[in-house]
Formats: sequence, C-alpha cells, structure tokens
Amino acid sequence: MITAENIRYRTIDIDHLQIAPGITSVIGPNGSGKTTLLKLLAGIAVPDAGTILVDGIQPRNAEIGWVNEFPDRNILFGSVFEEIASPLRFRHLPCSEIEQRVELSMKSMGITYLAARPVQELSGGEKVLVALAAALISRPQVLVLDEYDSHLDANRAAEIVRIIRKSGIPTVIHCTQDCEAAASTDSTIFLETGKILHSGKPEDVFALLAGTAYYPLLW
Amino acid sequence: MKLSLAGVKVVRGDWSLSAEGVFEDGIHLVSGDTGSGKSTLALMLAGQLPPASGAIEREGIESALITFQFPEFHITGPDLEGECRTWDLDPTPVLKDTNLAGKKTLHPLDLSRGELKRLILACVIAKNHDLLVLDEPFSSLDSREKERFCATVSGRKTGITIIFTHERVHFPRVSRIWEIQEGVLHDRGRLPVALSQWNRAPAVIKKLIARGRTPENFSQADLLEAACRT
Repeated sequence: MITAENIRYRTIDIDHLQIAPGITSVIGPNGSGKTTLLKLLAGIAVPDAGTILVDGIQPRNAEIGWVNEFPDRNILFGSVFEEIASPLRFRHLPCSEIEQRVELSMKSMGITYLAARPVQELSGGEKVLVALAAALISRPQVLVLDEYDSHLDANRAAEIVRIIRKSGIPTVIHCTQDCEAAASTDSTIFLETGKILHSGKPEDVFALLAGTAYYPLLW
Repeated sequence: MKLSLAGVKVVRGDWSLSAEGVFEDGIHLVSGDTGSGKSTLALMLAGQLPPASGAIEREGIESALITFQFPEFHITGPDLEGECRTWDLDPTPVLKDTNLAGKKTLHPLDLSRGELKRLILACVIAKNHDLLVLDEPFSSLDSREKERFCATVSGRKTGITIIFTHERVHFPRVSRIWEIQEGVLHDRGRLPVALSQWNRAPAVIKKLIARGRTPENFSQADLLEAACRT
C-alpha cells in the first residue's frame, strides 16, 4: 500500500492519496503533473512538504522499478544484454545467475533477438521493452512506468500488461494517454493542474469523464 | 505532387525492409508493429537516410520535413521563444495556440513531454512543407491534443502528409493506408476499402467492421457515426 499525505511539490497539491496493490493508471492532460507525481511516488523527487510511504517506508528506501517516458534516459549501457543485466550486476549477483535471469527475462519479453544489438540502434519501442525488462528483473515491490505504452503497438502493449500481471510485482503505477488501456487497470487517478480530480475504479472515474475526449471509445 | 518508391530496400543484419509504392497528395497512414521499421522508412521518405538499394523519387515536391518520434531531438533553442525563432516563426501566435505562452521563458526540456511534442508539432505544421513526414506524432499527446492535432493536419490543403503511428483511437481522415508486415510495406489502398484489408487495424475499427458497421474513414466523427448508425 502506498499512502501520500499533504503533498506539495512544484504543481503537485495532493491532500490524500492511497494506492492499493494492483495496477493503477494515472491519466490527465499534458502538463497536469503526472510525471511529477510518478517521480515523487518512485522517490526520484522528494516533496517540499508532506509524506509518502510505501508499505510504511520512504520510497527511497523501498525497492522501486522505474521506466522514464524519454526512452533514451533509461539507458546506461551499450548492449541490450548488459542493460538488462545491470540491476543484478549492481547487486554483485553471481555471473551465472545473472546470465540465466537475463535470458529468461528477454525470452518472456520476446526480445531475445535483440540481445547483441547496441541499444542506440533500437527503435523507440524496442528501447522501452529493454527498459521494462531492466526494471522488472530485480523484482521490485513497486513498478512505476511513465507512458511506456506510447511507444508500443497495441499487441505488444497488451502482451506487456500480461507479463507485468504475471510478474507478481505487488503494485504497478503507470501513466498513460491510452484511456482504453487505463480502463482495464484496477484503479485510475485523473490528475489536472497538479490536483487529483477523480480516483477510484476505472468505471467510476470514466463515468465522471463521459462526454470528454478521455472517455474510452470502445465503451 | 508525388513520392515514388521503386525497389527500395534497407538491410541490417538479418532484419530488412522492402518498399514499393507511390504517395500522392493527401494524408497517408503507415502502421506497423514495434521494431518493424517505421522510423527507418520515415527517414528514407524524408530524404534523411539513403536506401541500401532502389530509388526514391520526388515529383513537384519543393520542400520536405520530418518530425521525429522523440520531440527532444528537435530542440535547438534556449527557451520556448528561442525555439520558435529557430524555426523562423513568430513565437507569440505559436505559444498562444499551444497554450504555452505562460511558459515562454522555460527551457524546452522543462516542459512535460506532451507539451514539448505540442510545441514542436505546432512549429512543424506552421512551416507548411510540401512533404510532411510525421513519426509517431500522437505519442505523449493527451486525448484532447490528439484531436486538436488531427484537426490541424486535416486543415492542410495541399501536399503529402505521411503519418507513421500505432495510435489506436485518434486519427484524422486519411486518404490511404499502408502497413509494414514481415519486412514489407503493403499498400492497403484507399478508404473505406482499405479498412477491411488492414490486418492490424485498431480494435475499435475491427469491432465496428465485425458488427457490419464499416466506417467511411476513421476520424472520431467517422467512428462515432458508424457506432451510432441505425
């Protein structure tokens, strides 16, 4: 469980927020503060005021996986294999275990064919898949994803959701501009000018957005 | 105007992309899976990347421009006003239209990614080039901005506009659909016939076709008309 109380940071102005285990989508207009909120929840930014706790501890002390909305900002290493292996190498795990886990990770993501490719030669979508694999491999307690799906085709995005659900990561928070995708998550937060306008089950949140451009067309 | 591809091929290791076809005046949509080569083809069509073999010929096209998938690749100005000026544009109307006037002194990278995309797209559209190649223009835009951009693109009276995207809901009215599958660019034809030939059509279109309500085109208005047809 993630709790946030009286959060003030840049445009973010949130009195109370509770995120239960499951997949939570964050939607809202460009510039509404979605990325800023995600950075606070991931511990990348620290609020000027207020408290955020992940299962009772501060985000910076929790195990959190993060995928940036700018695909190139996720990349530290030259090859796909090394990039995915990096979180495990930083923990000094045995090489044989690292190799085994990276191969398994690439197989489950369907990107084994990319293993030897230089990361900089990948397409935007492929870079996101590599960043996701690197974020998932350390089995974090919280996975925070900033618009990863804006670089993926529909089939691949749906496959990734299946992988994330199967991964057993308790809490996943992802910001998206795909309201159809948001509609299939466990809970939704609608943010505008740094404030939470609506939050709850997707059907309840989208009912309040009926008649706007955010209402899922498939509904 | 005409952009013709004859025997175009690009090869990288065991990956390749072949393309044949003619792009004429109007709005073209090119779809394809992640890693299928959309950005590579976009670069070739814009003249930024030579094909390994084959030829790309332009007829009546005096100016061409590509927008990259990543808006940060376009930045050359120190602030939003400066960014507009590097496009040789008056910043005031551009920033007003994009609702970014209040942020004119910020560095472009201080904007959210969606805001940055909005700014770059506005600059690109304002230049009104004969050939406009848009690589994933909808990524990072919110639903409202996607619709606004569709209206703006639809307002281009002349020229060839080629949109590479895997967007699933928001589209302008398009003239022709192209699809990259298994390393080959396929011409699915003109609308509405192309919709039934489009293998990886968005779910909402497939659903409408399955219900016997094939839309005339696939702008929001077309989709809603088909969905509400009695």
